[in-house]
Amino acid sequence: MRNKQLEKRSRFDLRMLVFYVAVPLFMGLLLLQVLKLQWFEHDRYMLQAEQNRLNIVPTLPVRGEVIDAEGRGLAVNRIAYHVQLIPERVTRMDYTLHALANILHWSDVKLASVRKRIEHTRADRPVLLDDKLQWEQVSPLAARLHHFPGVDVESGSYRQYPYGALASHVIGYLSLARKGDLDAGYFPSEFVGRTGVEKAFEQQLHGVAGYQQEEVDAVGRRVAVLKRAPSKMGQTLQLALDIDIQQAASDALGDRTGAVVVLDVHTGAIIALLSKPGYDTNRFITGLESDQWNAWLNDPEKPLLNRAMQAAYPPASTFKLVTGFAGLEHHARLATGSTFCPGFVELADRKLRCWKHSGHGKISMHQALVESCDVFFYELGDELGMSAISDAAQEWGLGEKTGIELSPESRGSVPSQSPYMMSAIKNNASKRKRWFRGETMITAIGQGTLTTTPLQIARLAAAIANGGKVLKPQLLAGAQAEVMHQVDVSAEQLNVIRKAMRSVVSDPHGTAHRVLANSPWDVAGKTGTAQVIKMSQDRKKIISQAQQEREYRDHAWFMGYAPYKNPKIAIAVLVEHGGHGGSAAGPVAAAVIRAMAAKDHLVTTGREP
Amino acid sequence: MRFLKSIDWVLLAILCALAVVGMVTLFAAVHQGDTGLWQKQGIFWGVGMLVFMALCFMPLRLLGLACWPMYGVALLLVLLVPLIGDVHMGARRWLDLGVMNLQPSEIMKWALMFILAHWFSSREARGWVEILTALLLTVLPASLIIMQPDLGTTLVLLFAASAMIIAAGLPWRLLGLAMVAGLASLPLLWHFMHDYQKQRVLTLLDPQSDPLGAGYHVIQSTIAIGSGGLLGKGFLHGTQDRLHFLPEQHTDFIFSVLAEEGGFIAVALLLFLYAALILRILWIGHKAYSRFASLLCIGIASIFMLYITVNIGMVSGIFPVVGLPLPFISYGGSALVTMLAASGLVMRIAIESKGQIPWQRPGSPLA
Repeated sequence: MRNKQLEKRSRFDLRMLVFYVAVPLFMGLLLLQVLKLQWFEHDRYMLQAEQNRLNIVPTLPVRGEVIDAEGRGLAVNRIAYHVQLIPERVTRMDYTLHALANILHWSDVKLASVRKRIEHTRADRPVLLDDKLQWEQVSPLAARLHHFPGVDVESGSYRQYPYGALASHVIGYLSLARKGDLDAGYFPSEFVGRTGVEKAFEQQLHGVAGYQQEEVDAVGRRVAVLKRAPSKMGQTLQLALDIDIQQAASDALGDRTGAVVVLDVHTGAIIALLSKPGYDTNRFITGLESDQWNAWLNDPEKPLLNRAMQAAYPPASTFKLVTGFAGLEHHARLATGSTFCPGFVELADRKLRCWKHSGHGKISMHQALVESCDVFFYELGDELGMSAISDAAQEWGLGEKTGIELSPESRGSVPSQSPYMMSAIKNNASKRKRWFRGETMITAIGQGTLTTTPLQIARLAAAIANGGKVLKPQLLAGAQAEVMHQVDVSAEQLNVIRKAMRSVVSDPHGTAHRVLANSPWDVAGKTGTAQVIKMSQDRKKIISQAQQEREYRDHAWFMGYAPYKNPKIAIAVLVEHGGHGGSAAGPVAAAVIRAMAAKDHLVTTGREP
Repeated sequence: MRFLKSIDWVLLAILCALAVVGMVTLFAAVHQGDTGLWQKQGIFWGVGMLVFMALCFMPLRLLGLACWPMYGVALLLVLLVPLIGDVHMGARRWLDLGVMNLQPSEIMKWALMFILAHWFSSREARGWVEILTALLLTVLPASLIIMQPDLGTTLVLLFAASAMIIAAGLPWRLLGLAMVAGLASLPLLWHFMHDYQKQRVLTLLDPQSDPLGAGYHVIQSTIAIGSGGLLGKGFLHGTQDRLHFLPEQHTDFIFSVLAEEGGFIAVALLLFLYAALILRILWIGHKAYSRFASLLCIGIASIFMLYITVNIGMVSGIFPVVGLPLPFISYGGSALVTMLAASGLVMRIAIESKGQIPWQRPGSPLA
C-alpha cells in the first residue's frame, strides 16, 4: 500500500517534471518567432510599416508664362474652379446632387455620369464633378457650401493663349501627360508641351514639382503632413516676338495662306513668325474633341503646318541673289558684263522662257536683279555650273536647318551633282550633260528641285544686310547673336547686290517699286514668283474649278531688309498661290515695315536724303 | 495573520505585474480611440480582484461537491445552443438570457476541468474505464462546441483535458498512440472544417496570397511586431497601432501593440511574467495537499498556456487566426474576470496547502 502510494507519487512528480520543461519550451518557441521578426527581419518590416503610413503627394508646379517683347502674355495661367465631392462625407447624396445640378446647370446626362463616377470610386476619395468653372459659375455654390457637407470648391490654374491662332505655331500647345511622359517623371494630371515654344522650352517652363509627405491611416485618410517641399514655378520666358508686328502681318495676309518671318538682322531675334491659317490653341486645354482635331488634320489648308519653317517652297527669283553672289565670287564674265534677253533661251530640244516674253533686251546683272530677268540668270547659271550654285546656296544657309529651337524644321533641298542623280541617267553621256545644263539653269532662277523655307529666306536677307553673317534665329528676347557661319564675301560684292535690292524698290522698273517705294523706311528687297508643281489628276477631280485655278496660281515671295542704310530687320513673306511676288507679297512686307517703323522713334534715320 | 502568512505572495506579485503591463498596453492601444475602454478595463480588474479575493476564502471542498451538477448544467446549455442560440458573426455560440448573453462553451471549459480533476482525484488514468470515461466527458461537449463552430474553445477543452489526463498518469505508450492517431486524423479534421477555417490555415501558409482579405490581419500584425525591433518605437509611438492598420488592436491583436511600441524587451518581459505565472501555478499544484487540487492547478495552467501560445502564435504568424484573447492583457471583462477567478482558485489551493504535506508523500493525511 505504501509502495503503491509512493509509486503514484513519483509517477506524478515525473509528469510534473515534463510540464516544468514544457512551459519554457513553449515560451522559447514564441520568443524565437518574435526574435526572428524583430531582429532578423526587422529592416523589412520597418520598411513596410513606413510604406504603410507614408504617402507622397506631389504638388504640381505652376507653369512659366510666355510673354512677348513688350511683356504681353502669349501663354498665361488663369484661375479656374473645380467642384469635387467626397462620397462618405455626404449626408444626403440625392438631395446634394440635385441641388448641384441646379446650381451648376447640369444636363440629365451629366448628372447620370456624375452618379456613375461616384458609384465607381472609393467612398473616401474625392470625385471630380465639374471643372474649368469661372468664379461667376461657382460663386452661388460657394455661398451655400455649408448646406452640402462633403462638397468642395477648389481652385487651380489652367493655360490660356490670349492671342489664340495668331501665334499658334510659335507658342504651340499642351496636352495631358501620356505613357512616355509618365516614364520620364511627369505626374498623370500634368500638362506637357507638344509643339512650339511650349515644347522647345518645356524644361524651363515646367518648373519643379514639390511634394508633400503625408501620414495616412489604414483607410488612406490624411492624418498629418510630415514634410513639405514647395514646388518651384517655371521660368517666365520673354520672346523677341512682337505681337503687334505679328498682328500686322496677319492682317496684311488676310485670309490668304502663307507665312511671314521678321528677324533682327544683327541678332537673328525672331520679331514675327506667322503661318496662316492658324488654329486656336486654347481648344487643346479644355481637352480637344477628336472631331476638331480631325478637322484640322484633314483641312486642305493644313492649319497645323507651320509654313514659316516646316514647309519648303521653290525660292524662285529671290534665289537670283545667291546666283548673283556666286557669279561675283567666281568672277563670271556675266557678273560684270551683260547679255541680250530675247525673252527665252534655247537649249537643244527645250526652250526656257523669261517671265517677260517680249524680253528685256540688253541687260546687266544689276538691272537683271531689279527687273528679275530670267534669261540673264539662265546664262549666268550655265556659265557657273551646278556645283558653284549649290555651294553658294549652302554658304548662305539654304538646304540646312536654321537651328531654331522649334521642331520639326524642314531643311529644304539644294540640288547637287550627287551620285544618285548621276546614276539616274548614267548610260547616256550626252543626255546627261544636256539634262544637267537645263537643270542648272532652272536652279539658277530658284526653280526646279531647289526648295527653301521662308525662315531660311528671311535669314538670307538678314545675312545680306549684316555683312554675310548667317545667324541662328533666336526666339528668346535678349539672346546673343549666334553666327552659324560667315559667308566669304567682300564689301564690294555685297554692295553690288544690296544696291540692286534697293533698286528693286526705288527704281521705277523695280518689281517691288509700286508697293514699297512709299515705305517709311527705305527698303531693299527681292520679289519672287514660284511656279507651282503640277497637281495630280486625282486631286484635279476632287476640287472645284475655282479651287483649281487658285491652286495653279504661283506662290508669291518677297524678301528684303530695312532700313537700307542702317538695317534693322529682315523680312520674308510667302503667299501660297498669291500670284506675282511684287503685288501679292510686297504689300504684306510693306504693312509689316510700316508697323515696325511706327514703333521706332528713329524712323527717319534710315531714310535716304 | 495566519491567513496573510499563508498567501502565495509570488503569485500575487506576478498578477499585479501583469495588471500593470496589461493596463499600459491597453492604453497604448486605445488612447487615440475610445479611451473609455481603458477605464472600463480598470473596473473589470477591480471586479476580477474582488472575485479573486472571494475565492481565496472559498473552501475547496465546496467546489468538489459542485462538480457534477455544474457539468450537467453546462452540458445542457451547450446542447441548447444549436436549438435556441443567437447567431453572431456567422457562429451560433450565445444564449440570450434576457439580462445578459451567455456563452455556454465558456462555462463548459471550467466545468470540464472540474469534473476531470474530480474524476481523477481518487483514481489514475491507467485503466480503460478511467481513461474512456474521461475521454467521453471531454469529447461529448467538445464535439458539440466545434459544431457551433468555436475552434478556439474546442482547442482549449482538448488541450486542458489532455494535460490533466497525462498528469493523472496516462501510460506513455498510450500517449504516443493518441498522438499518432491525432496526426492521422488531421486530414479528417480538414474535411470537417468550415471554409473560413480552411482559409485561415491556407492564409497562414502564405499570407501574401490574400493580402487584403484573410491575410490582412497576419500581415499587418507581423509588420507591427517586426517593425518594433529590439527596443520598440516607444510608448504611444507605434505607427501601425496609432494609424489603425492593426485589426482588433485592443482585443485579440493587442500583443502586436506591445511588440511594436515596446520591442523585444517588452515581449521578453511579458513572456517571462507568463512563464513565471504558469510555473508558479504548476508548483502550487505540485505541492498541493490533494490530488483534486493538483489536477485543478494543472488544468488552469494548461488553459493559460494554450491561450498564450495560440494568441501570440497567431499574431506573430505561427498559427492560424483563432480568436483567443491574450490573458490579462486583451480588453474584455468576462475573460479577465474568469482568469482572475481561476487565479483565485489557485490562490485558495496555495492557502489550503500551506504547511500541509503534499498528497501521497510519506506523512500526507490524504491517500
